[in-house]
Amino acid sequence: MLKDEELATHRQELRRGTVVLACLMLLEKSNYGYALLTALDSSGFAVDANTLYPLLRRLEKQGLVHSEWNTDESRPRKFYATSPEGRRLAATLRGDWDELAAAFTALTALTEEP
Amino acid sequence: MTTASTLTDRYVAEAVRSLTRGQRKDIEAELRASIADAIEDRLEAGTDAAAAERDVLAELGPPRSLAASYSDKPSHLIGPDLFRDYVRVLTVLLSTAVPLWFVFSGVVTFVAGASPLDSLGSALWGSFETAMSLAFIVTLVFAIIERTPALRGRRATKWDLHSLPAVPDQRGYVSELVGGVLFLVVIASVVIVLQSVGAVEGPNGTLIGPLDAPLWESGVFWVALFYSAVSISFHVFAHYTGWSVANAVATIVLDVLFVVPAVWIVAGDRLLNPDYFAAIGWPDGVQIVGLIALAVVVLFPLLDTVDAIIRTVRTRRVHRSPSEAA
Repeated sequence: MLKDEELATHRQELRRGTVVLACLMLLEKSNYGYALLTALDSSGFAVDANTLYPLLRRLEKQGLVHSEWNTDESRPRKFYATSPEGRRLAATLRGDWDELAAAFTALTALTEEP
Repeated sequence: MTTASTLTDRYVAEAVRSLTRGQRKDIEAELRASIADAIEDRLEAGTDAAAAERDVLAELGPPRSLAASYSDKPSHLIGPDLFRDYVRVLTVLLSTAVPLWFVFSGVVTFVAGASPLDSLGSALWGSFETAMSLAFIVTLVFAIIERTPALRGRRATKWDLHSLPAVPDQRGYVSELVGGVLFLVVIASVVIVLQSVGAVEGPNGTLIGPLDAPLWESGVFWVALFYSAVSISFHVFAHYTGWSVANAVATIVLDVLFVVPAVWIVAGDRLLNPDYFAAIGWPDGVQIVGLIALAVVVLFPLLDTVDAIIRTVRTRRVHRSPSEAA
């Protein structure tokens, strides 16, 4: 029987890259950290705040998202939006995901054959 | 409300403390906004202010982990790419230098008239010190490589079948060993003979040799002899395992360990005894021999370093070319 901790690690490994893809897709419409966190959560991509905030910085550094401080409201917030390069990466990752999904479907069909 | 805002202040301060000045202001502002948003969300859901803040901060986890995620700097001293090379260099240096030093310093102390127990104690302590200094220097060199992207890129070569070390050539191994030991024995004998048999009467009637007397008595030449033994064993090892970047780095460490004190002694006029050269009627000899000695202690390690680098590069080129041609 797999320990809880090991199970959590395996699931985490499998999800790792999906948060990046989900971020790039959601940030087609510019948004700020906490709102993105809740949007990810309600779309079914559970991610911790302490993972997401540093991740956004890394994506920005790689030029995959752009950021801008919005000071229109009483609380200034940093808004992120997917860059053209981020869009291209998202398309590639999306394609990979579909291929993987198709491959898993085929694999399931193969192993379930009598 | 005052206590609640203090908790956030404390959390944010701790999280941004280790960040670089350039990052700090922006990350702090964003982190504060995010925390405030999260607290606000919970307040709207009916949680009381103090509990909301505690929950939000607890969920963010240890501030130092958060800082580490934000930081570009590695949170480790030596990463997995270098770790195996690091362990290998350390193992080689420690497994050759420490036992040799143990035997040498034990014998030397005993011959100098210490009791067996004192000799053992000094040998143990000396070995410990040797191990500590080697470990420190090797760790320092690897930590610097870890933090220097240019160096890391250079060593990150693609592994292929051709990079497997060749089966060691026994004749080469033996001749290298014998050659190194012979050279060392000849140099050591010449120095000892000149200093003892070749000693002449100095200005105040005592016998003096060409080497500075306090230096000769300080035991520094035993250290040099010990160093040479380590260096020879290491070269044999490098020959045996095939020249790699790890070996080249270790060679450079050994060479630097030698050059710094050697140049300090020779260039600081601490090696030779000018009275000796005056006594044998060649007063200029102290300058000339000193210059030659300086050239030797600089050139030998320099050539050794260059040789190690050339061998490493050549090994790679030889190993790579068949795969490129294929």
